[in-house]
Amino acid sequence: MDTTATKQTPAEQELAQLLVESLNIDWLQPAEIDPEAALFGGDLGLDSIDALELALAVSKRYGFQLRSDNPDNRSIFASLRALSAHIEQHRPA
Amino acid sequence: MSAHWTERPEGGGRFAIWLIRAIGLYGGRGFARLFLYPITLYFFIRRPFERRMSRAFLTRALGRPASAWQVLRHIHRFAATILDRVFLLGDRFKRFDVRLHGLDALTARMRPDRGVLLLGSHLGSFEVLRVAAAERPDVDVRVVLDTQQTPALTELLHALNPQVARNVIDAARPGTEIVLALGEALHQGALATLLADRARPHEATVAVDFMGSPAPFPVAPFLIGSVLKVPIVLCFGLYRGGNRYDLYFEPFADELALPRRGREAELRAVVQRYAERLEHHTRQDPYNWFNWHDFWKLDRAVAPARAVPAGAGAEPARSRSAA
Repeated sequence: MDTTATKQTPAEQELAQLLVESLNIDWLQPAEIDPEAALFGGDLGLDSIDALELALAVSKRYGFQLRSDNPDNRSIFASLRALSAHIEQHRPA
Repeated sequence: MSAHWTERPEGGGRFAIWLIRAIGLYGGRGFARLFLYPITLYFFIRRPFERRMSRAFLTRALGRPASAWQVLRHIHRFAATILDRVFLLGDRFKRFDVRLHGLDALTARMRPDRGVLLLGSHLGSFEVLRVAAAERPDVDVRVVLDTQQTPALTELLHALNPQVARNVIDAARPGTEIVLALGEALHQGALATLLADRARPHEATVAVDFMGSPAPFPVAPFLIGSVLKVPIVLCFGLYRGGNRYDLYFEPFADELALPRRGREAELRAVVQRYAERLEHHTRQDPYNWFNWHDFWKLDRAVAPARAVPAGAGAEPARSRSAA
């Protein structure tokens, strides 16, 4: 599946690493995650409990909270790329 | 055959609920309760599906074939608690005789920086808890409720008590937002409550023994408690007839540790323990059972399983097949 994946940016690589570690995904290398593929319900098949764990890990690592009431949540959680862009935009410098 | 509970129509509709409210608020509770008899009869006749479900459930709970009279009593109990929601939320809480049991077990676990996950059920009335909590403004309560399931009733109740309405986490929102909202509430030391005896379609479930045969229970409430490392307390609000309610709080787990790998067996054991507590209270008072669908139905439409490559064995417990 990694042959079709577009290349991850450094920020995306870091987030992919965090995702794989915090969710204990052992069937996939961080680099194999297609940054444009769906995080939830797609090949990766994450569910809402995974989202909660990921949000906790993001808050610990980046010092910034993913909010439940953000109107853009659907697009923020759409893919690794979208989530990474959102984190980079909002994390404290 | 039997529909999923989310597919059943709301009983009565807006007009009936408006009527109940008008009669109740202007004529008083005693007067309104007279109308429960024709209402009960109406539902008994017009809702054969729920009537069959009631009869099957009571037969199971009582250990002998349930009579029509017992089914009528069951429907009457339910209608009475729906009516009481109007009075409970209409700021007439003090008229009720609500006895709290085990409240200390709950308050001892509450901290300003870390809330408690309170698991309710459709056994009895959860409304009595929401209102009891509203009497304690120092306690921040958030309730996960599906406002789309009974829109007419929700609209009415929230109009009666906007204060209580503000504390609702709408279960009609995407699952991710619900769990994040729960996480935020618990992080702020809130008492976050959700109903743990029904799964929505496509939600992961595990079948555990309940009242004599396996029934599907949602796993998310327990996983949320485990991920957020908060104590889990059970809550049962039983209606005893007249104006009396018994509200029970039971500590369930102070720190549920469910490891990511191989947690299927542990998760099943936890859910089984929950089912046993629910069964205990259900057997004490079967007429408080307000799940009007086939609670034991396991083979619902098969949803796609979690996309885990074969042999990865990551999380079998999260299979969505029986959701």
